[in-house]
Amino acid sequence: MFAYLAGRVLSAIPILVLVAVFIFSLVNLTPGDPALLIAGDNATPAQVEQIRERLHLNEPLPTRFAIWAGNALRLDLGVSIYSGQPVTRLIAQRIEPTFVLATVTIIITVLMAVPLGVIASWKANSWIDRAIMGFAVLGFSVPVFVIGYLLAYVFSVNLKWFPVQGYSPLADGPLDTLRSVTLPAVALAMVFAALIARVTRAAMLEVLNENHIRTARAKGLPTSRILIVHALKNAGVPVVTVIGIGLATLVGGVVVTESVFNIPGIGRLTVDAITRRDYPIVQGVILFFAAVLIIINVLVDMSYALLDPRVKG
Amino acid sequence: MKLKSLAVAALTASLMLGSTFGAVAEEVLRLRMNGDINSVDPIATTNFTIRNSAYLIYDTLFALDADFKVQPQMAEGYTLSDDQLTYTITLRDGLKFHDGSPVTAADAVASLERWGKVDGLGKILFSKAASLTATDDKTLVLQMKEPWGQVLPALGKISSNVPFIMPARLAANDPTVPVTEPIGSGPFKMKVDEWVPGSVAVYEKFADYVPRPEPASMAAGGKVAKFDRIEIRYIPDSSQAVDALLNGEIDWIEDVAADLIPLFDGSDTAHIFANPQAGNSLQLVVNHLNPPFDNPKVREALQWALEPTPFMQAIFGEQTQLYQICVAIFFCGSPYESTINTDRIMTRDPAKAKALLAEAGYDGTPVFLPHVTDIPFHDHAYSVLKPMLEEAGFAVDEQMTDWASVSTRRASKEPVANGGWNLFFTGWGYVDQSNPMTNVYVAGAGKDGWFGWADSAELRDLRTQFAATTDAGEQKALAEKMQSVAYDLVPFVPLGQASLAQGVASNLEGFIDSPVPFFWNVSRKQ
Repeated sequence: MFAYLAGRVLSAIPILVLVAVFIFSLVNLTPGDPALLIAGDNATPAQVEQIRERLHLNEPLPTRFAIWAGNALRLDLGVSIYSGQPVTRLIAQRIEPTFVLATVTIIITVLMAVPLGVIASWKANSWIDRAIMGFAVLGFSVPVFVIGYLLAYVFSVNLKWFPVQGYSPLADGPLDTLRSVTLPAVALAMVFAALIARVTRAAMLEVLNENHIRTARAKGLPTSRILIVHALKNAGVPVVTVIGIGLATLVGGVVVTESVFNIPGIGRLTVDAITRRDYPIVQGVILFFAAVLIIINVLVDMSYALLDPRVKG
Repeated sequence: MKLKSLAVAALTASLMLGSTFGAVAEEVLRLRMNGDINSVDPIATTNFTIRNSAYLIYDTLFALDADFKVQPQMAEGYTLSDDQLTYTITLRDGLKFHDGSPVTAADAVASLERWGKVDGLGKILFSKAASLTATDDKTLVLQMKEPWGQVLPALGKISSNVPFIMPARLAANDPTVPVTEPIGSGPFKMKVDEWVPGSVAVYEKFADYVPRPEPASMAAGGKVAKFDRIEIRYIPDSSQAVDALLNGEIDWIEDVAADLIPLFDGSDTAHIFANPQAGNSLQLVVNHLNPPFDNPKVREALQWALEPTPFMQAIFGEQTQLYQICVAIFFCGSPYESTINTDRIMTRDPAKAKALLAEAGYDGTPVFLPHVTDIPFHDHAYSVLKPMLEEAGFAVDEQMTDWASVSTRRASKEPVANGGWNLFFTGWGYVDQSNPMTNVYVAGAGKDGWFGWADSAELRDLRTQFAATTDAGEQKALAEKMQSVAYDLVPFVPLGQASLAQGVASNLEGFIDSPVPFFWNVSRKQ
């Protein structure tokens, strides 16, 4: 088990290095000069040149990479070229909203999707199955911002149950926090639930056709026990994989939802930084994403070992 | 099972009815500006959102009032020697920075010197000044080399870069390195610990601020803070921002997009205020270095090829209260408004444009159009521009892009094939363009000037004459002449003047008429 985990962790290091090189090159080769954007509309060419000097933008790319990578190794991701705030502080400020939103979304998703997937497989090819899969296709096809606007229109503007936008920090009371992330979490859960319900159904169908299920049925076990204990656990590996991927996506890729509901999460930090060519933030955040993705992958791999004894070998 | 349902019902009820969202005992004003507060240094950038935030934090020696006259603000007053060369400025009593230290004349000198290194007008001021010194804690002496009529307008400049006063230890920073500690002596103090760039900036009333006794008048007069706390919230999605305003979650939106204005119909919570002074105009900037617009005849053809109305209609649709078909170079509604030499811009005649192109020997070189898609104001305008140019005989090479790329590319003086450009849209605002000393299109500074690099010795000379005189009638005549010369030179084509549609909570009162949004004097109706 230890060797298995150590192997997974070590294999992550070259991935991180590759990501760092790739991101640095991509960010720095994108057209758009941060010096001009910082200086503003009526800056003179001399002013712009001074800013370029200060940001080392005139140095060759490899030199700039060496400076950045050296600092990153010491966990110094630099400072935002606009606000002068350390990138690590900016990321830290954004972790709570992103983490709370991702957690609430995953809880709603799993509570909704896994039972739906199990029921769909149990009633395979019946009208119940088709209805559930129809819902899944719908959830996956409607863009998340449309769901977001609809939810906000009904539950915030008309019924006034939830705020239209904004995030209330945990420090101001967890109930307010929960209220502020409910609508974005439901909007996101619709998309992920659709995917997870489909994967659960497919994995369950495969298991339900196996011999041990037939034996369980022959023994006269109740359906609920067969489905949950004998089938769902064995169908767990692909389901957990998809949940893991979902969680990773939620940490980094929910920019649209964060923008629609004005949640100050990490996704928005990234997009705003790209629009402004704030290179240190873009590089720092993507490195952070890569690290989170790797950690989630390792956790998912660990759960395989728990779900399937053969993996330990 | 019953217990479970009860628990779920209780949780749902508490979520829906639960404690009020973010409510606190103190009075809070929540604002949504066009941009994000991503810096606290209004000298290191000309960004207007940063300027707006800076007006809460910092104060100025002089300020512009509603009659566009310069009044003392932090200054108690000033005297000017008979030879018009020595300005002696005295500071008011009781001025304090947010870190508790007193404001001294040395702080003001250091702040003005830093500002004078970056600001256009500030640079001219310092080039004409022999010295600026603090003779004691409360007195500054500005010694000029020659009499110059623009000293007070420069020190009372209302828009970027505003000569804000900060402690000398911060003003010692190179002006291109942003100050990260927001210490001013203005009516509100920024709470850095609650600042989340990209999300929210928080300000609280500065208890030690002493407002002037006069009533507030534009940037001048008494700045009385009536809210305990101000939050500038960055809400990226415009329609959600409008919903938040109509739902009472925020109090003010700097600019509501034209297509969202009908949502305010019948609302008791908020209304639209069309503010012409805070507006801008649509300006098509012309590069004089690259063909075909290096040829004056082709530039004249460009004027005949276009007219403002279709552009304004494309941008504002049915919201006709938000624009004027006005092409005055110093804006309609300003002291220097004029219609001189605007016929070619107001009238469209593609046949005349074609004839001029033929006369100029235009060889069909495509005009490069960088169609900016991430700013709706520009996006709609480019969609109208292309067919109009083609109808007038121009060949057009249009490419979809974003504003960040254009703002880089416009700095290039290279030919189009090497990353240069021909035309781009921008939107300088009323506040900068209504002043002949800061309007970039009448500078005529050639390659040393703003993008487009239109060169005119006559314009440079007119501006020098304008700066030297303090006679209002003479200034008006010179400004009119500047417009006439500029519209022959064509540094840009103006295509209509817009008002800013501000969304305002209906329970607020006390807003000050101004091109820059100010939030002192504003309170909630009791």
